[in-house]
This record gives sequence, C-alpha cells and structure tokens, in this order.
Amino acid sequence: MASKSTAAAGVILGMVVGQKPLIRSGAKARAWIAVPNKRMRVKAMGMAKYKGTVMKEKQLEEMIEKKVMEAREVCEGNEVSDECKVAWDEVEELSQAKADLRTKLEKQDPLEFYCQENPETDECRVYED
Amino acid sequence: MATCTIYTTQSLNSTCSISTPTKSHLGFHQRQVVFYTSGKKTSKRGGSVISCAAAVPRTVVIGLAADSGCGKSTFMRRLTSVFGGAAEPPKGGNPDSNTLISDMTTVICLDDYHSLDRNGRKEKGVTALDPRANNFDLMYEQVKALKEGVAVDKPIYNHVTGLLDPPELIKPPKILVIEGLHPMFDERVRDLLDFSIYLDISNEVKFAWKIQRDMAERGHSLESIKASIEARKPDFDAYIDPQKQYADAVIEVLPTQLIPDDNEGKVLRVKLIMKEEVKHFSPVYLFDEGSTISWIPCGRKLTCSYPGIKFFYGPDTYFDHEVSVMEMDGQFDRLDELIYVESHLSNISTKFYGEVTQQMLKHSDFPGSNNGTGLFQTIIGLKIRDLYEQLVSTKVATPLEATKA
Repeated sequence: MASKSTAAAGVILGMVVGQKPLIRSGAKARAWIAVPNKRMRVKAMGMAKYKGTVMKEKQLEEMIEKKVMEAREVCEGNEVSDECKVAWDEVEELSQAKADLRTKLEKQDPLEFYCQENPETDECRVYED
Repeated sequence: MATCTIYTTQSLNSTCSISTPTKSHLGFHQRQVVFYTSGKKTSKRGGSVISCAAAVPRTVVIGLAADSGCGKSTFMRRLTSVFGGAAEPPKGGNPDSNTLISDMTTVICLDDYHSLDRNGRKEKGVTALDPRANNFDLMYEQVKALKEGVAVDKPIYNHVTGLLDPPELIKPPKILVIEGLHPMFDERVRDLLDFSIYLDISNEVKFAWKIQRDMAERGHSLESIKASIEARKPDFDAYIDPQKQYADAVIEVLPTQLIPDDNEGKVLRVKLIMKEEVKHFSPVYLFDEGSTISWIPCGRKLTCSYPGIKFFYGPDTYFDHEVSVMEMDGQFDRLDELIYVESHLSNISTKFYGEVTQQMLKHSDFPGSNNGTGLFQTIIGLKIRDLYEQLVSTKVATPLEATKA
C-alpha cells in the first residue's frame, strides 16, 4: 500500500528531492529513487519504458492477486459450480496476459510505436532506468 | 494485383516450347507474352516468356489450436521465421492488439471473436473455452473474406481490460494463421483451413509449464496454479480437446520416459502425429516409410549426454484415421547431435541440407529449442512452406540472413 502511494506521488509530483528509496518486500524487489529533475525506477526484471506499460504491469499483478483470492472464496464449498470455473478462468486469462507482456518486454516496450506518434500523452511519459 | 513469372531460355538454338496453359487449378487464366532477342549479340538471354496472372493470388489459411494464449507462442514465431522475417504487432494501431504481421504471414488470435467480454462471461457463467462465448458466424465470415482476398475490420479483444476494443483493419496476407482455442470447432471454418495443427499438452507437462510461468507472481502458489487447471479441465475436455480429431497434424507433448519419476517437465517426449492422405502434405519418416523404427542415435558415431535421445517412427490409427507417428524423447545437447538427427530424417521439406538445424539455432533462445517441441514445430513450419508453394505454385525465397527474431 505504501509503495502504491509513493508510486503515485512519484509520478504526479515529478521530482521529490531527498526522498528515501523504498523497497517493497515480496517476490520482486523494487526501489524508487528520486533525484532532482529525474524520476528513476529500478526494477528487478522487465524493461518497461513508458508509464502506460508500467501501469499495465502493476494492474495485471494486482488483478491476479485479487482474482486468486476471489476464486478461492467462490469455490469454497462448491468446486464444480459455474462461478468457480469462471473465476479460475479469469485467473488463467490474466496470468497468461502478464506472461505475454513479460515476453514482449524482453524485446521492446509494446507502447513504443504508439508513443513515438503520441509522446505527449500521459501514458507515454518515460521512466528512465 | 497481378503476379508475373519470368522464365528464361538458355539459347535460341535449343528448342523452346511454349505450352498453352489450361485454366490453372487456381481458377484464373494466364496470359503469356514472348520476347525474343536477335541472337547475334553474345547475350546470355535467348527468349523470355513472361506469364501474367490477372487475378488475386489465393490466401492459404492455417489453423492452430493451442491453450497457451495467442500470437506470442513459440510455434508462431518459428513458423513466421521459416518464411523469413519476424512477426510484429501492427504498427500504429491499438497497442493491445493480438495480431502479428510479417511479410508473408498474418497471425490472428481467435480470442478477438469473443462474443462475450469478461463481464459478459461472468454474468452468463461461461468460461472463454465455452463456444457460447464466441461468435463463430463472424469468425467464418471474416476468415472466408480474407481467404478470398478481401480486407476485414476485425474486433480486438483486450486481454488486460477484458473488453472488446474497436476493430482493426486486416488486409489479406499470403498466409493467414488463425490461432486460438477454437480454430476447428465450427465446421464451416474447418472447411476453410488448408492445414490444421493441434498442440496437445499432457496434464503433467501443462502443470510444470504453468508453474514456471506463474510461480514468480505474487498471488500465485502451487495450489492456486493447480486449482486453475483443474477448474478449467471440464470445459477444456468438452470443447477444446475434441478438435484434435480434425487436425492434420497433432503435436503431443508428454513427460519423458527416459528419466524415471521425472516431474520437472524439462525433458520431454514429443509425438508428431501426421494424418495420411492429406493433400500437399507428405509425412516425415525415418529410414523406411510405413515401417516401424526404433532408433537411438547415440552410440559409436555420436556421443550424447544424459538422458540421451530416443526416436520412434511407425504407422498407427488416430480417431479412425491412418496416421504416421514420429516421436522424439530426450534432449539435444550439442549442434552435432541436431545435424546428425536431421541427416537421418526423410521428407522434411528442407531446401538445403541443415536447414532444420539452422532454424533451430536461429532461435536457440526459444523454449523447446533443445527437444522435440522445437524440432517438430520447425519441421511443420517447413511442411507448411512446402504446402504453400504447392498451392500457389511459386517459389518462396530462402531467407538469406539469419535475422534474430
């Protein structure tokens, strides 16, 4: 949660001088480092360049977590119900989408062409490695 | 758009015959124009015959049934690479498009024909595997149109948002690949396919692969991955699995038999099941077509490391069809193993010795590059090129440079 708000703050405010790096514990470690006139982000894996892609990754990650929990709840008691299989199907769809995005990122940011044409949009703001 | 083929005769002294073509099997007439040089100059060229076809070349349609998402699958990348070039998402369109385009091929993801988006499916209580979530009428209409050379506005299903995005324009390519869960489900669509492939992953291997895919994700655990596969299994068995009886080729991926109790899914046993009597498709064979062969290439001429390589070839029946089965169990460890194996396979439709090896090396970073999945996917790619050439009677230029995909 704290990292989420820091992320938002990092994006909206732009430069935050003297802010301490924040490491989020968990499977992937990320560090936010803000220096004057730059937003810098160090990621454990992936090479997302544009804000839109970074947000998409996060969105997928959060949805997967959420949907797995939902599926467990829905399936409790009745594992063969329609609701149960739909819930796990959603998890599968999102997991595959996340994996596909990871694969794409190994080559280049999927927003590359879009952002060359539309550099002014919010989602095309650049994160530097 | 007209295609012109130019033939050159060696010298005027040779007897040239110009045959009057009958109406070609493609259904359009060809006009021929003949030019002669005087022959007094020492020119290499004698007479040239230019024949021009005044109709649109047909689009070859390939269907691929797979449960592993769309378009980015390794199989697609290998296939498009056989034709040269890498398949890229359409530039300048929706960045979440599932479509891939290269010079010769366009790969369409059949999820784009979902009639129900994620919310819709939730309301109706159907998974994406259920035919009720898919618009087969539209799928048929558009694949038919593309096959006939007409561009279509195809919907886009956004896998991130789960919504149907505005359509994108798809122009008819030389080779159209439709990939997804239901390429062979609807009979009308099935009849449009020039060749179809079903990728049949066994449960144990599916589990191992999904673990590799998902374990790094927060929110996932072994238990959730297992539960997801189990919950989808009834729909998968009811709607997706039966398609394999219609496929011209089935690639079956099983756990290895070379390592007792192996459950890592790293060493694989892969079966290539090829239907007999398929037009323009001659099955791969080992040594003696139609016989039964068991072959371990490792021995005096070739040293392999553990667990080695084992091949099997033989005739069989599959859902009441006559088939030929080529099977590889184990892993390639070194380049010379690969080329050794290639040199003993027959009917692999290569244009030069070592082409399979070259293709495998080109994509050594792809999953399956050291086992039967990569080998058979590459071979099927070459077979599809062969089929394409037979269907349109032109030559595909062998890609000269090894571009990294």
